Amino acid sequence: MSGDHIHAEPTNFFRKHVFSVDHKVIAKQFLWFGLIWLGIGGLMAMIIRWQLANPGDPVPVIGSFLFPATDGVVDPATYNTLFTMHGTIMIFLGLTPLLIGCVGNWAIPLMIGARDMIFPTLNMLSFWSVFLGGAVGLYSLFVPMGASEAGWTGYPTLSTTVNGLGSGETLWAIAVFLIGASSIMGGINYLTTIIRLRAPGMSWGRLPLTIWGIFFTSILNVLFIPVIGSAMLLLIMDRVFGTTFYVPTSVMQGAGGGDPILYQHLFWIFGHPEVYILILPAWGIIGDLLSFFARKPAFGYRIQIAAMFAVTVMSAVVYGHHMFTTGISAMLGESFMLLTMIISVPAEILFFNWLHTLWKGNIRFTTPMLFSIGVIFVFGLGGLTGIYLATIGTDIFLHDTYFVVGHFHLTMAASALFAAFAGIYFWFPKMFGRMMNETLGKAHFWLTVIPLTTVFCLMFVMGYAGMPRRYYDHTSSEYLAALQHMNTAATHAAFILGAAQLIFVFNFLKSRWFGRPATDNPWEVGTLDWATPTPVPHYNFKVIPTVHTGPHEFSHPALGEDRDWISMTEPLPGAESDGPDLGGGAVPTPAS
Amino acid sequence: MSTANTMITSLPKEELRHRVNSTLGMVFFIGSWSMAFGTFFLAFMILRQRVGVWPPEGISLPSFPLAIVATSIMIASSVALHRAMKGLSAGTDRARRDWVLTIALGLGFAVVQGWLWLDLMAAGRHPTSGLYESLFYGLTWFHAAHVVCGLLGLLWAWIGLATGRYGTHRLSTVNNIAMFWHFVDVVWIILFLGFFVF
Repeated sequence: MSGDHIHAEPTNFFRKHVFSVDHKVIAKQFLWFGLIWLGIGGLMAMIIRWQLANPGDPVPVIGSFLFPATDGVVDPATYNTLFTMHGTIMIFLGLTPLLIGCVGNWAIPLMIGARDMIFPTLNMLSFWSVFLGGAVGLYSLFVPMGASEAGWTGYPTLSTTVNGLGSGETLWAIAVFLIGASSIMGGINYLTTIIRLRAPGMSWGRLPLTIWGIFFTSILNVLFIPVIGSAMLLLIMDRVFGTTFYVPTSVMQGAGGGDPILYQHLFWIFGHPEVYILILPAWGIIGDLLSFFARKPAFGYRIQIAAMFAVTVMSAVVYGHHMFTTGISAMLGESFMLLTMIISVPAEILFFNWLHTLWKGNIRFTTPMLFSIGVIFVFGLGGLTGIYLATIGTDIFLHDTYFVVGHFHLTMAASALFAAFAGIYFWFPKMFGRMMNETLGKAHFWLTVIPLTTVFCLMFVMGYAGMPRRYYDHTSSEYLAALQHMNTAATHAAFILGAAQLIFVFNFLKSRWFGRPATDNPWEVGTLDWATPTPVPHYNFKVIPTVHTGPHEFSHPALGEDRDWISMTEPLPGAESDGPDLGGGAVPTPAS
Repeated sequence: MSTANTMITSLPKEELRHRVNSTLGMVFFIGSWSMAFGTFFLAFMILRQRVGVWPPEGISLPSFPLAIVATSIMIASSVALHRAMKGLSAGTDRARRDWVLTIALGLGFAVVQGWLWLDLMAAGRHPTSGLYESLFYGLTWFHAAHVVCGLLGLLWAWIGLATGRYGTHRLSTVNNIAMFWHFVDVVWIILFLGFFVF
C-alpha cells in the first residue's frame, strides 16, 4: 500500500500506461486530460466571444458543423450552455487536473524524496474518477433538451426542474460530484504522503513552496469538496426524486417547500475555498520558480508559508461576499466584508515577498520565469479589483456585471493558468526528457499576456459602465449597444489569445517527440526532483536521498565562484552541522 | 481508539509504519466525510429555522418506537465491533463471533430502517410530499447508502479474517473498516437526535 517498496515495473501495456499506479504516469494522464479539456473550454470561450461581438451571426468555419440545426447561429439556449460548460470545464476539468492532478502528482513524490504516493491505487482511482466525470459532462452536451443552462454556479431555481427540464442539468451535477470525489481522493493521498513519506532531513522547514501550496490546497480539498458533493446530491434528489430542498414554497402545489438561498450558502461555502484551491498551488509554484530563476533564496520563506496558511484558514470564512445581494443580514454582510478585506493582507504579504525575491536577483528570463512574473502581474490586477467587490456599497452595483467576470478571470483563471504553464514549461524536461523551445515559449507568453490583459481590462470598463454578464445580445438595449465597440475589441483580443495557444500546442507536441534532449538538471536548481536522472527511473530514487540544505540555497557565499546553486542532497561546503534547519521539527521518515 | 493503541505497541516497526500511514489516511477520509454529512445537517438546520415551527404544522413524526429500536441496534453493533477488535488484538476466538454479531446487527438496522420508510409510505407520505419528508428521506437515504457500504466492508473483512488473509498483525484494513462503521453509527445517533429528540 505505501509507496516505499520497490516493485517490478509492469510490462503489461494496460498496467503500464492506462491503469497505472505510478505517480509519474498518472501525472502525465492528468496533464493530457487537462490540456484537452482546456482546449474544449477555450473553444467554447471563443464561440461566446464571437456571439458577443456579432450577435446572431453564424459562427464562421466551425459553426455549421457544431450547430447544424441553426445554420451555425448560436441560439440563446446554446449560448447559456456555452457559458455554463465553459466555466465548469475550465475550473473542474482544465485547471484542477493541471495544477493539482498533474503538478501535485509529479512534484510531491519527486520533491519530497519518495518513491511514489503513499496510496498508489487510490491515486489511480482519483484519475479515473475525474475521467468518468469528464465523460459524463461531455455526454450531457448531447442529450435531448441540451446540457446544463444554469451557469457554472447552478443556482436554483434555474437548476431545479422548475426551469431546467431534461437530463442535462442532472448529468452536470453527477459530473461535478464525480470530479469532486476525485479531488477528495487526491487530497487524502497528498496530505498523507507529504506527512509520512518525506526523505530523511526533509523537515517541514525545508519543503519546497510548491509542496506547501499543494499541502494547503489538499486541506481545503478534503474539507470543502464534500460540501459541494452534498449540495449536488441534494440537487440531484430534487431533480430526480422530487424532494424540495431548493424549491421554494411559492412554486410548490400546496406542500411546504425549501429555500433556493440554501443552495447559494452551500455552493459558496465550497466555492470560495475553491478559488484558493486553485490559487494556492499557483502561489507555491511561483514562490519556488521566482527563487530558482532569480538565483536567490526565496525571500521570507517562512513568512510565505505563514501567509499561505493564513489564507487557507480564512478562505473558509469569507464566502458571504458572493451573496451581498441575496438579502443577507446587515451584520453578516459587514462581517463578511471585513473578513474579505482582511484576507487580502496575507495575499499582499506574498506579493511583496515575490517582488523582494526578484529584487537584485540574477534573473534568468526563461519561459517558466516569464509566466511566473505573469502570475504576479495578472494576480495583482485581479486582486486590486477584488476590493471593489468585497465592499458592499460597490458590490451591490457591480454584482453580476462584466466587472465580476474580469475580476475572477484574472485572479483564479489567468493566475492559475499562468502558473500551470510555468509548471509545464518547468517540469517538461524532467517529464519527457526533452526541452521545450524557448523562442516559441516566449512568443507564447507575450501573445498570451497582452491580449489576456486587454480582454479582461475591457471587461472591467464595460462592467463598471453597467454591462450585465450572461446576456445573449447586448445590442438589444440602446444603452448597452453604445458599448458594443468595446465588446468587439475584447473579442478581437480574445481571438489573438486563442490563436496564441496554438503556439503552445505546436511547441508542446513538437518538443515532446523532437525536442532537444534534456540533461538531468537543465535549470540548475537544487530540489530533489532535479537530483534524479532524466528520464526518471521507475521508482524515482534508487537510494532515498538524505537532505542537508533548504530548497533555495542559491548564490550562497560558501559555494565559491564556479557555481551558484547546491543540491539539497549536499551539505554546504564548510558547514559544521547539516545546514540551517529553518524550524520544523519533523521526525524524518526512515528509508526502507 | 484504545484498540488501535494497544495493537500498535505490539507491532514490529515496518508494520507499525504501515498501520500509521493507513490510519492517518482513514482519519482524513472520515474528516472529509464528516463535512459531507455536516453539509446535510447544515441544510437540515437552515431549513428548519426557515420554517419556524418544527415539526411543521400538521406534520407528525415518523414512528418513534421503531427509531428507538434502530438506534439501540446500531449502538449494540458498535459495541460488538469494539469487542471484536479487542478480541482480534488479543488473538482470541471470540473475535470472529463478535464480528458476525456486528454484521447481523447491522443487517438488523437496515431492516428497521426499511420498515421506517415503509411505515411512512403506508401513511401516504412520500419524498415528494413536502419539506419534512424531503429532509427525512434525503438524510436517511444518504446515511443508508453508507450503512450498505459499511456492511459490505464488514463482510469483506470477515471473509479476509475467516480465510486467514490478514494473519494476526496486518490488520490496518480491518481497523479502517471498523472506524468507518463507528462513524456510520455516530452519524445515525445525530440523525436520531435531530429528527426525534430535538
